Amino acid sequence: PAGGAAPRPCSTQAAPQGINKPVIDRIIRVDHAGEYGANRIYAGQMAVLGRSSVGPVIQQMWNQEKVHLKKFNELMVAYRVRPTVLLPFWNVAGFVLGAGSALLGKKGAMACTVAVEESISDHYNNQIRTLMEEDPEKYKELLQVIKQFRDDEREHHDIGIEHDAEATPAYSVLKTAIQLGCKAAIFLSERI
Amino acid sequence: MATRWPGVTPYSPISAAAAKLAVAERGTGQGRERERGRVSAKCQHYPPVRALQASAVLRRVSDEHKKEPFTPSSQQQFDTHPAGHQPEQEPQGPRPSYTGQGGQESEDYESEEQLQRRILTAALEFVPEHGWTTEAIAEGAKTLGLSVAAAGMFHSDGSELILHFVSECNAKLSELLEKEQKLVQLGEAEKKPTDEFLRDAVEARLRMLIPYIEKWPQALSVLLLPRNIPSGLSLLTSMIDDIWHYAGDQSTDFNWYTRRAVLTGIYNTTELVMLQDSSPDFEDTWRFLENRVADAMNMSSTASQVQSTGEAVVQGLMGAAVTIRNLAGLNQRR
Repeated sequence: PAGGAAPRPCSTQAAPQGINKPVIDRIIRVDHAGEYGANRIYAGQMAVLGRSSVGPVIQQMWNQEKVHLKKFNELMVAYRVRPTVLLPFWNVAGFVLGAGSALLGKKGAMACTVAVEESISDHYNNQIRTLMEEDPEKYKELLQVIKQFRDDEREHHDIGIEHDAEATPAYSVLKTAIQLGCKAAIFLSERI
Repeated sequence: MATRWPGVTPYSPISAAAAKLAVAERGTGQGRERERGRVSAKCQHYPPVRALQASAVLRRVSDEHKKEPFTPSSQQQFDTHPAGHQPEQEPQGPRPSYTGQGGQESEDYESEEQLQRRILTAALEFVPEHGWTTEAIAEGAKTLGLSVAAAGMFHSDGSELILHFVSECNAKLSELLEKEQKLVQLGEAEKKPTDEFLRDAVEARLRMLIPYIEKWPQALSVLLLPRNIPSGLSLLTSMIDDIWHYAGDQSTDFNWYTRRAVLTGIYNTTELVMLQDSSPDFEDTWRFLENRVADAMNMSSTASQVQSTGEAVVQGLMGAAVTIRNLAGLNQRR
């Protein structure tokens, strides 16, 4: 990394040499988009349920997502990765999903959380597998970050289950629909 | 330090064919017929005489050519390199895929890519006189001690020469910006404000065109050929991305695209103005550039002003609504 108090922290030396640029590009781009979307989902949920009893729980999960997004912003600059062009779209779609699921009630919001977090942890697991196959030593730092975040998302998933997500009416339909949307979002953000 | 451009590899069939011919002539009788068969299959798009010319060139360069079976696949390997590939990440020596069946390489072994680059660099000297043509490449080959037939390795419209030139200029620009950045980090230079930085970077890059300015319109039209558009575009985008990176851009949202689009517009329009500029040392062009960069800065500050005005208006309306509700007594809880 560029170093402590660099006047303009934009050195190309920040990104290590000899990395598989296309693969790392995709990974960071899609993860950044994912964390951005997750932030917007929680923002939507807070907008509706902020003052209810699950408000603090959602707020706490949202804070963790903010930390994740900040980390990916840093990685994006360090590896000089292009953000996905669909960001404005995920901005709106995420908020609508969060607010929409929250309008179905507290259980609905938790169901949405469970679905999204399950998708995300599967996705992170895939990435960990890819990086391990490439070269665990070279990508040690990135692997650590993704593993940590995957554990956080698993925790969110478990919190959702604890708060009766599965008791939502039409839970399996809702969950399938949301996970399909997540898969599509991941596919598009990797490429565009 | 030239960057590779994706999509420009029509010559692996020729060079593979040529090198195969060169080796086949030296090889055993058994392999010969088979290799000729393969050669003619690959030569179907190009006149065989080019293959022979190229083989004459290749034989001159090095005695031990063992790379033929690997050339097509290694060229394909180059194709998968992404557009934004950093110059610093290019391997300096010959690629490992070129090691022959015996696993041996000669000391002065030079890859075909490196040879082509040397010829094109030498050819640039003759461009002001001959234009972006095969003649310039032939003259360049002559200065390297190669036969003029080496120009047969390249397309007759000078595409590779132009793309090579553009990628060399971009590499020079990156070096220049990197040096400047080091000076700032060491505290030996002042950090420039963004508009001045962009202006200086674009001016430095456009000044590299000055020796070739007479023939540059021809180059631009060749770059617009459908065949060259992907490579030309990727060279342009990576240059613009480089400039913004060194300018300190750390945006990770849609601004990333807006900024690059604006700078691309500035660069392209300034380039066109430069082509028609007859003022001493292109003063008019630099003034045009300064105005466009100032416009761009204004645009971004105007955009943020509009946004904050909008927010203030919305807040005002909300305040008015709440006041009216209170006055009308609708806020009372009954």
